[in-house]
Amino acid sequence: MCVGIPAEIIAITPGILPMARVLLNGEELDCQLAYFPEAEIGDYVLIQNGFVMDVLDPQAAADSLAAFAELGVIELPAEAG
Amino acid sequence: MTQRWVLDEIVDPFGAKVVVETDAAGQVRAARFDLAGLPRVDALLAGQEVAAVPNLVEKLCGICPAAHHLAGVGALEALAGVSEVPPAADAVRRLLHHGSALETHAPRLIAHDRETALAMRRFGKAAMAAAGSPGHFPTTAVPGGVKALVGAEAAEKLAADAPALRDTLVALAREQVASGASLPAFGGADVALVDRYGSPDLVGDRLRAVTADGGTLISGAAAAGWDSLIAELFPGAAAPRPYLMALGPENGRYRVGPVAQLRVGELTTPIAAELQASWLASGGDAAGARAIMTVHAVEAIISLLETGEFGSGEVAVPVDGFAPDAVGVGWVDGPRGLLVHRYQTGADGRLVSAQILTPTAQNEPWLAELLLAAASGSTAGLDLEDAVREADPCLPCSSAPVGGMGLQVDTVAAEGGN
Repeated sequence: MCVGIPAEIIAITPGILPMARVLLNGEELDCQLAYFPEAEIGDYVLIQNGFVMDVLDPQAAADSLAAFAELGVIELPAEAG
Repeated sequence: MTQRWVLDEIVDPFGAKVVVETDAAGQVRAARFDLAGLPRVDALLAGQEVAAVPNLVEKLCGICPAAHHLAGVGALEALAGVSEVPPAADAVRRLLHHGSALETHAPRLIAHDRETALAMRRFGKAAMAAAGSPGHFPTTAVPGGVKALVGAEAAEKLAADAPALRDTLVALAREQVASGASLPAFGGADVALVDRYGSPDLVGDRLRAVTADGGTLISGAAAAGWDSLIAELFPGAAAPRPYLMALGPENGRYRVGPVAQLRVGELTTPIAAELQASWLASGGDAAGARAIMTVHAVEAIISLLETGEFGSGEVAVPVDGFAPDAVGVGWVDGPRGLLVHRYQTGADGRLVSAQILTPTAQNEPWLAELLLAAASGSTAGLDLEDAVREADPCLPCSSAPVGGMGLQVDTVAAEGGN
């Protein structure tokens, strides 16, 4: 099944095509914010094809990360646990 | 035993790999899409409290958690002996599902018509919120029904916005159907959920299978009969090659999703049904089918708003636990097609085994046929990206703009081909 692991936005570059730098399981990635221009630094998001596809509230992100951790398939960074 | 996924393979926002098999003369013999990025979670779920499984699975899904939510709750209801939920609860679930379909299909439009894509996403989200799921992860359904009914204010807002969105999506669908590509015919069957009259019903309780020549193989089977309907040739594999047991592993391949939904029966909403007739007459493609199903989703929401059934009545029937040593199957026809959750409980009520059969896994044989046609050049104008976009695997690449899929192609020697 498709897997969506929440990533935290750590920086935003505004513009016509705004970009976000996200932290995904300890790795930094750049992605497009065109679809969710309202996203803010600190938001947890799901990424698909280099685009932010949804913004999660903090509780939903924590619940999702906890589900991955409960099944033991990812290692969570200390601050996300 | 703990299984640790290779995250780079799973969450790479651009990664997608096609494997092409050639013989000694360089002729393409087979092709397939590598589904390593879609791991099966089934085996990891064993030992979980069965009531918690749907919630756990939907938290993992990045694209259509609403479909997992409804299929999972359906499996629990089968274990609880619930055969029917109250009409109001059914209507709330339908609102969630159709809203989710719109939200899921919206990204494809962003390169073509950003404003409509955003409007479609907003409307889909609003429908899901009205149905009790304001966040990414749904909280609408509970075994036996739903948590809450739809409020009048949220329904009024949806009713105000729906007609304009419908008209825009109808115009886009007409354009899409008229410009549809001609693709190689699929030799397998089409499988979708239907209502009691055989019309496509995305939350229907009957499964219908129609063969490539239009014959009805299965007219309307219940989820309880799942174990005699479809089997996996490679159980538990990422690409399990499921097949219709009535036709056997050699001939039983099938596809699910919007194309299958349009081929199993006539849609119940009028504008989408008219588009469906044109699409069928012109031998339409999956992009046209998806566009028609978005029109169907908005029409279905408008119909729900007109009846107002989701606003009053009983929210749920009582549920008194889940049967031990039993099998429960729940399903839903999601934005990409049939999604099945099958849970088997042990004597202690915990999950002994699970089968989460996704649309992508079911469409993999169809995708392999399309990739073979593209790689061998047997269908003029069909390239690998077209093939992937047609079968629409639940991976980031599927919604990439034209030319931006970034497919990695590995060419290997075919077995026995040297």
